[in-house]
This record gives sequence, structure tokens and C-alpha cells, in this order.
Amino acid sequence: MKFLTTDPVAHPEKILYRRGIVNLEDGSKTFEDVPCSNLEDVLGGFGRSFQILEKRSIQSAYCPENPVIVNTGLLTGSSAMTGLRTYFSSYSPIKGSQAGLPAAMWSAGSGKFGAKLKWTGLDEIIFENRSTTPVYVLIKETSHGPHIELKPAEHLLGLSTHDKIMTLQKQYDDAHFASIGQAGENWQHVAMGSVALSTVNQLKSGEDKMRFAGRGGMGSMMGYKNIVALVAQSCDKNTAITETVKKVHTQVIKGGGAARLQPIKRGGGGGTWAAYDVMQPFNAVPINNYRPQGNDLPEELFRENVEKSYDIQSAACYRCGITCHNYISEKNPNGSRGEFIAKFDYEPLNLLGTNIGIHEAGQAGRLIQLCDNYGMDAISLGVTISYTLAYNEKHPETPLFNGANFGDYDKIYDLICQTGEGKLSHIGFGSMRLSEKTGDTDYAYHVKGLEIAAYLPETNPGYCWAIAGGHMSMGSYGTLIREGIDDVDSWVKVITEDKLHIVGFDMIGLCKFFDITQGIGTQKIVDCLKSDFNLKIKPQDIKDAVRRSFILGLALEFQQGYTKSEYCLPNEVSKNPNPNIKLSNISNHDFMKELSEKVWNVFDDEITSILDRKR
Amino acid sequence: MQITVSLHGVFRIDRFKLKVLEYPDGSSAQKIIDELQIHAKLLGIILINGTHAKAEDTLHNGDTLMLLPLLEGG
Repeated sequence: MKFLTTDPVAHPEKILYRRGIVNLEDGSKTFEDVPCSNLEDVLGGFGRSFQILEKRSIQSAYCPENPVIVNTGLLTGSSAMTGLRTYFSSYSPIKGSQAGLPAAMWSAGSGKFGAKLKWTGLDEIIFENRSTTPVYVLIKETSHGPHIELKPAEHLLGLSTHDKIMTLQKQYDDAHFASIGQAGENWQHVAMGSVALSTVNQLKSGEDKMRFAGRGGMGSMMGYKNIVALVAQSCDKNTAITETVKKVHTQVIKGGGAARLQPIKRGGGGGTWAAYDVMQPFNAVPINNYRPQGNDLPEELFRENVEKSYDIQSAACYRCGITCHNYISEKNPNGSRGEFIAKFDYEPLNLLGTNIGIHEAGQAGRLIQLCDNYGMDAISLGVTISYTLAYNEKHPETPLFNGANFGDYDKIYDLICQTGEGKLSHIGFGSMRLSEKTGDTDYAYHVKGLEIAAYLPETNPGYCWAIAGGHMSMGSYGTLIREGIDDVDSWVKVITEDKLHIVGFDMIGLCKFFDITQGIGTQKIVDCLKSDFNLKIKPQDIKDAVRRSFILGLALEFQQGYTKSEYCLPNEVSKNPNPNIKLSNISNHDFMKELSEKVWNVFDDEITSILDRKR
Repeated sequence: MQITVSLHGVFRIDRFKLKVLEYPDGSSAQKIIDELQIHAKLLGIILINGTHAKAEDTLHNGDTLMLLPLLEGG
């Protein structure tokens, strides 16, 4: 980026980002320095990409006019801890309105690819049209500026996400990679394809320790465009960390939000996985398609039980001190670490474990690994499978597919393989479409066509207003459990004021664990921007930009045919309330009706002003 | 007075899962949290008899105090 001002609010046009546009149809590339239109453009990520998508009229995700936008945030590749994010944006093949139109969507991932991309000199690449043959895209830094090449990729076809990355690594030094798996290649049959992003750990160890931009089928969109991988080759440009940023990092590591994520040996809670321990006392851990039974089955995946049989290793992303994740490996007979299985994070562990009746850690880990290597979104896949298993339980005489039941590891394994290989499009296109085909829609756990995260909808009415998935774009998922908030007016504030700000992290290039409680409108962010770019900005200006971007997301949903009746939780929660959940019932019809009216009263004018601007 | 203390997650490490403990009348949840040396930054949820409560809330004989770590996303 070029900074010709220190005031990004008054003079965003004096900040320019470097964009490459690749026409996949004829192979042409153009590069330009684009003046920012507003602070959202400066911050980047979906704040910028949604302004591009807003200008497109897209009726079907799989059409040449639907771009895939790959960009970074302002702090991607900066000295700020967690500044690793890459964003993939497009109209989604899986999230769509009842009118049949695709929703605008983004997905974010860490790994080192984003920083490497930034260090090539590019802030954004827009892929237009589609290639007639499979290609991978080499983006590299040269003495004349960033350079993009389309390279033949037939040799990569059929390889897993991990194997594609390891194959390309042999060819490119000092590079990081983004790849799709077989699922993305089979985009005609799989709309939940993810994009894998390489990590330093992965490239060093040769083990499949990737990160994912999983949500919304961005890997399927890459597959549609015949792009099977991206290579970002550049020298590392780590800047010295100033005393100011060091102080910020100390606050991040010791702050309340990150404390639970720190390893236990450092006095932390042991990563995202620890959510199991907090939710189980309320019988709020999803089990067997989001229907907790009031038993202790989820406890089999508590860390204290898993570590009896498996090796657990705390790990961190590149240059991050939060150390949020846990690698699970086999334990050798002598107690040493054996073969790596998977990264245990709460969402995939639950949705490919407890929520499909798998309670053995190694089996859950193998299913996560399988999903990752085929390149599918663990949330959409897990929930569509749990729907299938619930259907089979209710219809034992006429089961779907191979007749798999909850806990039936071998048959579930087979379902994942078949889906990833493009042989089971009914699962590959997600739970909304599958349930519409069967006619049993009440227990399909999606909202607006996108599968929900591993928090019961009974605990999170905010799912309805999430614009890109229920835990990355509406941070209300823990509110009832954590605070016991169960009155409508407080929930209106949670949704319309406090928790929408989580999306700011998907603009600026940081992970949400940087400050999950406060968002990005904070002095910490202000200090980082001043230190790295000499930008002078107020926290409130950042908050305002995040809110405008969120509202644009809602406006784009209406543009794509959503009606207010689609902003609802899965029917089962109100039709058949689960008596085992030990929390206030805030998902009943009356609560949701009043909440909906009051939330729209807040949002309506802001949305209308955007839609009027477009008319 | 007797208080049933239920600990969850990492709070169980080197402590216990469930114990009935004796405290002076009028003790607050904070007193028990302090005695158990549970770090404030990790403490996320306090329940007294299954209802969300605050650290300064006073306990009564026969109450159950449940302490859980933070829940901040997955």
C-alpha cells in the first residue's frame, strides 16, 4: 500500500492499495494502484471486497462474472501479532436465499500465505472469468514489482490440499501456498470446498498442519475457475517490533480474551477445545445433530480423557504468542509422540465428533484430517452429515445414502470420502438443499443456507443476523452461557451494537483472538496503525467503518433476494424444545418474534440507505 | 455454613471436581474464589444454584457454587 497521508479518515483517497486483476479467460493481467474510497477500503478484507461484490449482479455463483477476490488486511504481514489473515470473497455456491440467488460471502484463514502475498507487493487479486484448463497461479516479487503467472496444473489434479502444497514447495523456495483439495476440483458436486493455507509448521514438518478459509465454498469457487493453487513467493519483510507494539502484544497475551486460549502449562485454559468443559455443565455441547441428551457423553472428548491415550501438543501460528491450538498425535507404547493426526479446535472437533456420535478422539481426529485433506469446510460438512444421520434415525426403513447412523465411524468415513470425491452431491451442496429434497427441513441446522457453528441455536439467536457464518460474523454465540443474558432488550443490544464488531477482524488482517471481547475499535489497534504506518485514527472511526461494512453485508443479503422470514433459527428448536438444556429458553417463538422486530427497527434505516444508494 | 463447590475445566487441575466445604456465614463467592486461588482472568462464569451470579454475591448455607473458565469462541 502507499500512504500519502497520515489521516485515513479525512483523506482515504491518499492511501492506495496495489491490485492485480487476472482475466483467466485470456490470461491477461493488469496492475493498478487504487485510491481508497473510504476507511473500509483502507482496512481491507471483506470491507473492501464487499464493495466490489456490491457492484456485480450475480444470479448464479458458478458464472464467469462472479469474481474470486483474494486480499489481505491492513495489518496482514505487519508487526502486529496474528497479522496473517488472507480473505477469499465471492458470491457463494452454498449460501443462498430461498429466491435461489447466491449470497455474497467471504472466508478468512491464517497460515503464512497472506503475509507472503502482501510481501510480493500486492494487496489484492481479482480473478475474473474462468480458465479453460487447470492452472495454478504464481505470484512473485520482482525488482519491477509484483508479477503474476498462470501455470499448467494438470500434475496437481487429484491431490489432497496437503499434497498439492508439498508438491509445490519442492518447486518454489521462500514461498507459501493456498490450495484446494479434490472437493474444490469437484465443484459441480461440492459447494463446500475450502481453501487450505500453508503454515511454517507444515512446510518444516511435512505434516498436514494447514489453516483453512473454510466457510462459504470459496474452494469450490476456485475450482470452478480452474485455479487449483496459489503460490506467493517473496522475501520475508518482518519489520522490527517497536516498544509500542511490544506493549500491545503483552496486552493481547495477558488479556482476558486470550487467557483461556493459552496452554495450560502457561496458566491458560488450553485452547478453543476447552469450550467443551464450559458448555457441558449446561448440557449445551451439540450432540447427535444439536440435540443434547443430558448425559455425559461429551466428556469423552474432554482433554483430561483424551490425553490418556493421545499426545497433545500446544502450538502457535507464525510469530503469535497466543498459542491457541492443539495438535493431536498418536502416542507410542513408550509414551513418545507418534503419527500426527489433526489439529483439535472446538468447531471441527464437535461437528465431526460429538455432534455425529463419534466420542473417541482418534476417530474424530481422523475425520477432521480427512475433511481437511479433501478440502471441505468442517462446519458445513459436519452439519450436513449430522442432518443425514438424524434423518436415518427418524427413517430407518428408508435411510439416506449408505444408511449411516450416529457413531457409525466406518460409514461416516465413507460418506466423507464420497463427498470429497464428488460422488455425493446431496451432501456436497449442504444441509439446506438436502433437507429441501427430503422434505424434512425442521432439523437442518443452517441459517440462511449456511450451516451454523458448534453452538446450539437455543443459545444464540444472533445466528439470524450473522452475515458470513455464525461464529465469524456475529460474536453472540457465548452470550447466554457466559452471562446468562435472557431478556430481549439486552439481546437487541448484543446483536445490533456489541457483537457485530467481530467482523472487524475480517477486515484488518488479524485473528479474532487478538481481542475477541473488544473487536478492532480499540487503542491497541490505533497504536499498531500509528507504529507501523504512522496513521492517526480514533477507535470510534474504526468502529464506524466496521459497522458500515456489517450493514452492507445485510444489504447485500436483501439484494440477493433474502426476505426477513429467512432470518430465523432451525424450526426444531421452537417446535420441539430440548428439555435437557439447562439455560433460559430464548429461542421460543414469542422471544424470537419480539427480538426480530426490535433488531430490524435498529437496522432497517441503515440498510435502506444502502439499498437506496444502489438504486 | 456448608457450600458445595463444583469446579470445571482447568480449575480442576490440582484442585477437585466437587467438594462440600465449610465457610463462615455471609461469605461471598469472591472469598471462595480467592481461597481456591483461581485467577480472575480465567474465571468466566459463576453460578449459584444454577443461576448466573457475581463474585460479590453472598452465599447461604446449602448453596452450590459452580465456577467455570471463560468461554470465548472456537
